[in-house]
Amino acid sequence: MTQHLRRLWLTLLLLLVLLAIEFGVSFLPLDRAARPLVLIPAVLMVGAVGTMFMQVGQGPTIVRLFATSGLLWLTILLGLGSLDPMTRTDYHVQDASPK
Amino acid sequence: MSETYLPHEFQYSSARHQAETAISGMWLFLATEVLFFGALFLTWIYSRHWNQAGFDAGAQQTQLAIGTINTVILVTSSLVYSAGLAFIEVGNTRRLIQCCALAWMLGLSFLILKFGVEWYLDFSAHLFPGPDFAISGPLSGGARLFFVFYFVSTALHGLHMTGGLVLVGWIILRAQRAEFSSAYFTPVAVVGLYWSFVDMVWIVLYPLIYLVGRGS
Repeated sequence: MTQHLRRLWLTLLLLLVLLAIEFGVSFLPLDRAARPLVLIPAVLMVGAVGTMFMQVGQGPTIVRLFATSGLLWLTILLGLGSLDPMTRTDYHVQDASPK
Repeated sequence: MSETYLPHEFQYSSARHQAETAISGMWLFLATEVLFFGALFLTWIYSRHWNQAGFDAGAQQTQLAIGTINTVILVTSSLVYSAGLAFIEVGNTRRLIQCCALAWMLGLSFLILKFGVEWYLDFSAHLFPGPDFAISGPLSGGARLFFVFYFVSTALHGLHMTGGLVLVGWIILRAQRAEFSSAYFTPVAVVGLYWSFVDMVWIVLYPLIYLVGRGS
């Protein structure tokens, strides 16, 4: 019991450290296109909440299946959805409308 | 007490089977919620990609201090609820009630800060993307898109938080009636999953709203 509570407190500490890193990194003068890298600590925080607070690893196998499926479909949704904006090349077209 | 002697509904082979089904059901629901919020995250990717300067100009108008305090509040409430679950696993109902009450108050503080203070400041600063929107010029379109994302995502998250508050309140009431013990605490675990999930969503929304556009 005490050990479990200690693990929970350590998780909170980890979350706050990651939050502080995320907060600090957001003020770095990164290129506008590279700024979504600020999200990396957030992804780690989500992992910490999932494993320590929601204990995804300790449930029955079907729980892990549902959690993995959710992540898989999210990856497909964001991956396929981002494909167009990330790969399209825009060519500047001069305005040809009559003056 | 052996689980064999625990009461369970007729369709389950044991109380453990019933508990695992309830927990699996909540995880299945959360998997659908991931897709629900996933569409919102995709709109962020799409809108920002085509309007980076305006989108970031909008993000710079947000209340960073309130957003950061709210993030600390939510992760703390997740910890407190998880501690309550750990306490009921060893049969300590009094501590469960205390933890749930604290988690409930932290959740309420989040909503007050978000909708009572932050939204009020946003509306006062004319940041609602209506006719008197504060940001004009070439960045106006992107900034408007940002604030559409901001208001929709925080409203949806707030609705989920409100649902979570109702559920945590329901757990407190049931715990006060001594309905939970070290042998039976499935509803506490199921509501805990939902509460932590709502926290997870905010952990992702926080950098999308307040941080990514901040330093550019």
